[in-house]
Amino acid sequence: MSAQDLVQTFFAKMDAGDVEGTLALVAPEAPVNLIPLQLQGSASEVGRDYFQQLASAFPNLQVRVRRLFVGSDNTAVAEVTIEGNQAADFFGILNQEKLMDLDQVWLLHVGDGAIDRIKAYWCQNRLYRRLGVRRLDHITITA
Amino acid sequence: MSVTISLSAVEVITAFFDAYRVHDLERMVELCSDNADFHYIPFEVWGRQRVIRGDGKVRTIGKALWATLIDAFPDLTNEVTSIIADEEGNVAAEVVISGTQAKPYGTIANQGLHYNLPNIFLFRVGKDGLIEEVTGYWDNADFYRQLDRLEVD
Repeated sequence: MSAQDLVQTFFAKMDAGDVEGTLALVAPEAPVNLIPLQLQGSASEVGRDYFQQLASAFPNLQVRVRRLFVGSDNTAVAEVTIEGNQAADFFGILNQEKLMDLDQVWLLHVGDGAIDRIKAYWCQNRLYRRLGVRRLDHITITA
Repeated sequence: MSVTISLSAVEVITAFFDAYRVHDLERMVELCSDNADFHYIPFEVWGRQRVIRGDGKVRTIGKALWATLIDAFPDLTNEVTSIIADEEGNVAAEVVISGTQAKPYGTIANQGLHYNLPNIFLFRVGKDGLIEEVTGYWDNADFYRQLDRLEVD
């Protein structure tokens, strides 16, 4: 499978809420760096936590790949939009059943037929705004 | 006989951030096509009647936003930490932008604070060596925290 096809499949699994299917495409020890959450670690820990929380907090999640290209070093660059209604708390953000849409950029390096390095960028402030958070020092307080 | 030397897409993007580092807005714009598109995804200003977004053209919205940022952060600089490019003119650049606030910036009051923020920029460079699209992403929550602005809106 080409890097492009692998990454398309990765986002299709995410779109389907298939956490195990998403992680099956990633080497377990692949470093994961989620810049806005300031979370770094392995795919089996940080990656699993993110994908599980995303799937459970947004059960009707839709993931749309808007742009995808693969660089000469086999890093896929994907610009995606995720969208869904919140149904459970998400990384400390209380559930107010709001709709969120969020644009993201993912850098996914592919080696030996698997994703072996992940980095993601998005604006967490936009996510807070969509989900009803008012202050950055009290993200769990909404009143 | 005229000889045109086209820079590679990576060279163009490197030149773009070199120009940004020395606050040469004219050079930044010169590296873009006349009609280059501009998208600063996190840029959203919520007014009473409408939301203003950072979407438009480099020569209008882009240049104005860069000038405003440099005006508020006169020591604004950048460090390009990685560039990923294909053969079709698609380029992604990871860039850390930093600066010290000297004036109010939008709704952010000036407290003389310094910020240091990871950004990612996506570009499309045409066959003529000119940038046709600039798209920027960063986390405003991180930006606001560093400048001690704690309201989300």
